[in-house]
Amino acid sequence: MAITQISVFVESRPGHLVRTLSVFSEAGINVRGFSAGDTGEYGIVRFIVDKPDQALALLAERGAAARASEVLCVRLADEPGALRHVMEACSEAGINIVYCYSLASTFIALSVKDIASAERALAGADIELVDQAELARSLAGVAL
Amino acid sequence: MGCPMPPADQIDFSKLPIYLPDVECTSRERIRAIQLAKLIDQVAYAYARVPWYRERMDELGVAPADIRTLDDVRRLPFTDKVALRDTFPFGMFAVPMSEIVEMHASSGTTGKPIVVGYTAADMEVWSECIARLAQMAGVTADDRVQMAFGYGMFTGGFGLHYGIQRIGGMMIPAGAGNTERHIQMIEDYGTTTLIATPSYALHICEVGEAMGYDWASSTLERGLFGGEPCPPGLKAEIEGRMHITCTDNYGLTEVMGPGVSGECLAHRDQQHIAEDHFLWEVVDPETGEPVGEGEMGELVLTPLDKRGIPVLRYRTHDLTRVHTEPCPCGRTLARMQKVRARCDDMLIIRGTNVFPSQVEDVIARIDSLTPHYRIVVDNETGLDRMTVEVEIKPEAFSDSFEEMSRFSREVADKLRNVLLVTPVVRLVEPGGLERTAGKAKHVEDRRTLG
Repeated sequence: MAITQISVFVESRPGHLVRTLSVFSEAGINVRGFSAGDTGEYGIVRFIVDKPDQALALLAERGAAARASEVLCVRLADEPGALRHVMEACSEAGINIVYCYSLASTFIALSVKDIASAERALAGADIELVDQAELARSLAGVAL
Repeated sequence: MGCPMPPADQIDFSKLPIYLPDVECTSRERIRAIQLAKLIDQVAYAYARVPWYRERMDELGVAPADIRTLDDVRRLPFTDKVALRDTFPFGMFAVPMSEIVEMHASSGTTGKPIVVGYTAADMEVWSECIARLAQMAGVTADDRVQMAFGYGMFTGGFGLHYGIQRIGGMMIPAGAGNTERHIQMIEDYGTTTLIATPSYALHICEVGEAMGYDWASSTLERGLFGGEPCPPGLKAEIEGRMHITCTDNYGLTEVMGPGVSGECLAHRDQQHIAEDHFLWEVVDPETGEPVGEGEMGELVLTPLDKRGIPVLRYRTHDLTRVHTEPCPCGRTLARMQKVRARCDDMLIIRGTNVFPSQVEDVIARIDSLTPHYRIVVDNETGLDRMTVEVEIKPEAFSDSFEEMSRFSREVADKLRNVLLVTPVVRLVEPGGLERTAGKAKHVEDRRTLG
């Protein structure tokens, strides 16, 4: 029940992230969540978008270094302790979260090495996982 | 339909043209005899007509009559760029201006340009030299040859143009720039041969790919490269992606322009010198003394029949070695190893000599990188720091900082193993490094003395 994330290699310089975002906006692709990490020289910017296949194809067409990968998407209850509950379920199952970031509304994207076992761990802790279609429905009309 | 040449041992060289077999395939003895006769004349000509040479030779106590063997060339003074610059614009000319039919000038990136003038006879020699190298690559009267060098003062454009016409090939004088138009012209006119700098050829290739042009089914068969050194990795990449065979030639404005030597298809890392027009020496760049046979040193050239501007013993600052055994292509003219380094583009980083060509070679062997690179040297922190900017290929990108930094460490390690200096490696987006139609600028030295 994973969702697709698009990662893009971007040099850490003014205007470089804008180029990627322009590709999205010109094609009417909506960004629903993102995380930008940086080494000082270059960054990896990760996006959750509404049309990941199209986004990847457009980036490849313009020669960008981009790739798709799978991440888990969790819907958090909008209440104290919800995030802790997710992290605890993973840690008790011995699952390391490589990175995670929040999406529009109360969704967070989690990157783990083994998606299936993380899914089981989270489901066992009564945590709601969201697939691509459900995410699209839930976020319809939610702007980032 | 274009296709890269098979390996040298599968080529039937008897089917490839040789422009002047009487000279290009003659005995070593006859070549040396031609050289000696011409050298004696040329030295007398320079002494009689160019005060700069007369003064230098008088100072050294050497007269034209002292030149009796080819080895006597060592008694003559060297010429360098400074001599040509100090006499700007026409001080080295040996004929009245009315006898000059064409002039060219070097790009002048480091001061005043070097101005050169050609008589009608010089133009004949020049176009003959170009005709030779074009035929080494297989060009015949049936070929349609598209020029992607700039015309103008640069010797590359017109030099190649006249040589191709001399063998009856059709010139398509497109000139530099407007890459989409170049691709359209290849398509519309059935171009078989592209003349370009290797870095611009790669740019044309990439733009064509982005436009959806299918190089595999194009009429283009070959590239004739010049204007800048062509590293083997870059050539192989262009040959593979454009489905063509590429050769490159060597020359410099000061002694003629392109065509001093050209690559045949038997030794892809060497070029046959037009020895009946150019006497070559290989010397130790420090002492100016000859190096042993086949050893690496600085190439020194004496054009043997130049009328407009005779030049004796020109210090090219280019490092090479020369082979004189016969070549499987049928030619007996000596072959110089392609110039990959100049004595004067050597960088000294914390006391270690570094050549950009070494960086080029390492990068060419790393699959995940494009052949483009840039070296930036600074000493902001007090110590020399060398940064090598490299472009990752899209498919080499991984969604993991860990893997990306491991990759850049690997690149740095590979560079350090060859350079003996540890560089900072900076990963750049695909297409992020500048492509130019002219000489690619690979080095930026920002070091300050303070």
